[in-house]
Amino acid sequence: MEKTIEQICDEAFKEIKTAESSESLNAISVKYLGRKGIITQFLRSISTLPSEERPKAGEKANETKKILEKAIKDAINGFESKVPEVADSIDVSLPGRSVSPGSLHPVTQIMRQICDIFTRMGFNIAEGPEIESDYYNFEALNIPKYHPARDMQDTFYVSDNIVLRTHTSPIQVRVMENRKPPVKIIAPGKVYRSDSDITHTPMFHQVEGLMVGENISFGDLKGILTNFIHLLFDDKTSLRFRPSFFPFTEPSAEVDILCVMCRGKGCRICSYTGWLEVLGSGMVHPAVFENVGYDTSQFTGFAFGMGVERITMLKYGIDDIRKFFENDFRFLRQF
Amino acid sequence: MKVSLSWLEDYVPIETDIYDLASALTMAGLEVESVDDTFNYLEKVVVGRIVEINPHPNADKLKLCRVDAGDRFLQIVCGAPNIKENLLVPLAMHGTLLTDGTLIEVCEVRGQRSEGMLCSEKELELGDDGSGVLVLSDDLRIGSRITGALGLSDYTLEIGLTPNRSDCLSVIGIAREIAAIQKTKIKYPIANEIDNNKTNNFISVIIEAVNHCPRYAAGLVKDITVSQSPFWLRKRLISVGQRPINNIVDISNFVMLECGQPLHTFDYDQVAEKRIIVRTATKGESFVTLDRKDRIMDEEMLLICDGKKPVAIAGVMGGLNSGIDSSTKQVLIESAYFNPLSIRKTSKRLGLSTESSYRFERGVDPDGTVRALIRASNLIAEIGKGKIYEGIVDEYPLKQNTDTIELSISKTNKLLGLELDKATIKTLLESIEFKVQNSGSDTIEIVPPSFRVDIARPVDLMEEAARLYGYNNIPTTLPLMQAEAVRPLKVLVLRENIRDIMTGLSFTEAINYSFINESACDLLKLSSDDPKRQLVKVLNPLTEEQNVMRTSLVPGLIETMRRNLSYQSKNLKIYEIGKIFLNKGKDSLAEEIEMIAGLLTGDRHSSAWYSKETNCDFYDIKGFVEALLAALNISNVTFTKLTFELCDYTRYGHTAKIVAGNETIGLVGEMDPEVLANFGLKQAAYIFELNCNILLKLSNLLKMSRQLPKFPSVTRDITIIINKDIEVMSIIDNINSIGEKLIENAHLFDIFEGAPIPPAKKSVSIRITYRSSEKTLEDDDVNNTHKSITDRLINKYGASLPA
Repeated sequence: MEKTIEQICDEAFKEIKTAESSESLNAISVKYLGRKGIITQFLRSISTLPSEERPKAGEKANETKKILEKAIKDAINGFESKVPEVADSIDVSLPGRSVSPGSLHPVTQIMRQICDIFTRMGFNIAEGPEIESDYYNFEALNIPKYHPARDMQDTFYVSDNIVLRTHTSPIQVRVMENRKPPVKIIAPGKVYRSDSDITHTPMFHQVEGLMVGENISFGDLKGILTNFIHLLFDDKTSLRFRPSFFPFTEPSAEVDILCVMCRGKGCRICSYTGWLEVLGSGMVHPAVFENVGYDTSQFTGFAFGMGVERITMLKYGIDDIRKFFENDFRFLRQF
Repeated sequence: MKVSLSWLEDYVPIETDIYDLASALTMAGLEVESVDDTFNYLEKVVVGRIVEINPHPNADKLKLCRVDAGDRFLQIVCGAPNIKENLLVPLAMHGTLLTDGTLIEVCEVRGQRSEGMLCSEKELELGDDGSGVLVLSDDLRIGSRITGALGLSDYTLEIGLTPNRSDCLSVIGIAREIAAIQKTKIKYPIANEIDNNKTNNFISVIIEAVNHCPRYAAGLVKDITVSQSPFWLRKRLISVGQRPINNIVDISNFVMLECGQPLHTFDYDQVAEKRIIVRTATKGESFVTLDRKDRIMDEEMLLICDGKKPVAIAGVMGGLNSGIDSSTKQVLIESAYFNPLSIRKTSKRLGLSTESSYRFERGVDPDGTVRALIRASNLIAEIGKGKIYEGIVDEYPLKQNTDTIELSISKTNKLLGLELDKATIKTLLESIEFKVQNSGSDTIEIVPPSFRVDIARPVDLMEEAARLYGYNNIPTTLPLMQAEAVRPLKVLVLRENIRDIMTGLSFTEAINYSFINESACDLLKLSSDDPKRQLVKVLNPLTEEQNVMRTSLVPGLIETMRRNLSYQSKNLKIYEIGKIFLNKGKDSLAEEIEMIAGLLTGDRHSSAWYSKETNCDFYDIKGFVEALLAALNISNVTFTKLTFELCDYTRYGHTAKIVAGNETIGLVGEMDPEVLANFGLKQAAYIFELNCNILLKLSNLLKMSRQLPKFPSVTRDITIIINKDIEVMSIIDNINSIGEKLIENAHLFDIFEGAPIPPAKKSVSIRITYRSSEKTLEDDDVNNTHKSITDRLINKYGASLPA
């Protein structure tokens, strides 16, 4: 009895599998698919079949032919290297011609992140002078001369009435003097305090914020700052608002976040308290509004401020604030 | 402010764990900065049993004790007269550090090993008895810690008080807060009353400066003995970090710490004419304070005087001439209310801050003077074994009133974002001794207690309600805001733009301090009339290295370079954006100008497999400046050689002024080697400095597209030989100035000097691109133009064509 097309196919595959070179595969191709090949002959023999069997048998034989053609081709490809012999190939492992990217100071990077979050919330950025009058830096902010609160900030003096600003809060006064509510600003910039150790430098950066309107509440202050902290750190960062004192806000609150290093267990970074102080804040004191001519019966508002270096240290795990201003390349290039 | 738990418990029972208490205080606004275990120093002191006593072979008064420490036996050399076998005693083990600084270690005493110390009550700071070892009760477990065995437990809290809370500068003040938190009552110390109505002829008090001293009370205790304070009193003072002195001084400190009222004690027998006069000093008046320093007074400072002389600087420090000493028999006690501002000024001007001035300047309780006086008199009489002279003096010419404040419930809720009812707010405020009365449907009337000198406005009360209710119980909300967006400040956009461009140009951003040392002007060789010498001086710099505000970013960049070179980072591309400050006169604010400056030093290419090490030069930094200006879309920029007169810190002949239109943007050049040497540097450095205000004026960030050319261009080269000193760019400018429409671009592509070019000449090759907007150019279209340009250059520059 003659072999069925299935048997022929199985045999062909066995040969293809055991073939050891592309030459033998070519021979297999001739043997089965050549002009006198087994499949070709088989196809020709179909005409001898009863007419009702022909279409099915023909279809099957053609299909087998295609399968074998592909199998042989693939097998040949497997033997023959597709890579041409190239005389002038290069050593791709050599480093490319060096183009070193520049870098932004880490404080600039975090400053941008902070400003971005607040501008997305609809705050505008305002700026002011770094050498400031005593009035804007202190008096207008409800810190009269000889007030014990002046001890809270070690001030650099330029003259009796001119100081290096100790915070960016004077900007809020300057803005309110020139603008009626609603006000929603942040004020980034350099500030100066006469202090130097592992957590203090005589110059550092602050971002101060202010929102004034008709129905701004302490709850809103909590909401904005919670939103901010979640965006700056992550959504799981816990916050606590702790009563404090700033002459230009009342009620005043320090904002602590759960220590980003130990997650509240207590470590060196958080002085074993589990919490890190990151923001000062509060409702704008009526005395400040009176100084800029805002109607305290109509408007309320909140203000907040933060040290950018401190946040940068927490975000990047930096242990000494003085590194920011030493400008050691090996440090700067890490960011 | 330090306070011990056991002291607090004299006034308020404390039920909670110490750490919970600390946390509750923190959340009520009294930030607990640390909690210390008072008996930490007794950690290595255990209950020991003397098993055996033998004589010391080399000392008659010493004994060798074998002591059971629970897990082992130790040999201890001991000289106490009361030791007996089988006694239980405190055994300080190796490593114990006693409060007097004695470190107990294994050592040899007269040739015999001693592995610890048997301690007296006094040595352990547990009592006054130092006569022998402390004998412990028989039923204690051998080897157990002494603290556990004796039930010793106490903690010291360090509280960081905000300047508004002067009422908490006392143990009672903090106890009051704890009582409010715990919702319990505070128990005030009982002071035997003194009959106020008795004649008080022992002293006459005359207040001349009533505004400075609204109230002055005095009392007298006679026949006292000055001695060491009893143990309990010393212990109290030590627990909060105060050094005991003698019973009288200690009592006055104790009462101040207890109730917040600073007291002063005088030796009554030294008070001339039995008169106290409270007056301001005369200018230049000198007075020697207790610390033996001569203080020069002025007319705003307040003195306490007797009939003849000053005896104290009011509220700050007593005089050397009238203090209590061991011979004092009669004590005059002062308890006054001084004007906070007056004390603050005096303390600041004298640079003298004391526990007393600290409290007065923050405001003491004006109604607490007499109470404190009576408390102190009683204690002095009791402890000093004296007798209170009946009656006190209480001069109170300027009554301090506490005003009633009306508080709106609805406004309180609106500000806080709460919905508290009247009763809740009332309860909160009453818990800290505020007197509250209903006054209207939405209002209550409040009289704050006299010790809360910080409460003056309704908002002060709102804060009290909020902190007692708990900030964390206030719901978090988001404000409704108007959606209006405002155009960002142009300077901000420019600054951030510059930063991004500089990052792209592979520069690293530095931030230097805004202050520098004033010698920088000389180091930079600035001319004597240079505006950069208009320095803003800092009156109280942290170090002399930082005594003026910078008038240039260059010193900071050079310092950055110097530091990095010392760290072996030799190839630097750094820049800084920041303000410089020019002095505009004593009473004016400085002129602040934002600048950007960059510094390039070291290799252009480091040695690598594809290149040899080459140093950067002027044209590298100029290239960066050109790229920056181009990225800012600033056109028509020219670089011209900076004149000799104007070159101070950059090298003459290697420095260009950068100008666009009428505006000078800044300069670019090589640092003068001499200036670098002034900063201790040898390696060449190149800098640029640009004025951001000018960049802001010129920068055009509005961009418009142009049609792209439809027809191809034709290029032709010209090579001419010209004198070496001709600036090549003037030739390019000259070509561009012809105004020939077909010229699209003239580009310098080669310069050559040396043979076969004659000396003092150079060959310059320029490629000109021609293009028409109407057709494809043929040779004929450009030949004539090109020829005429060539001729023009030959004529204009005396050029010749190459052979």
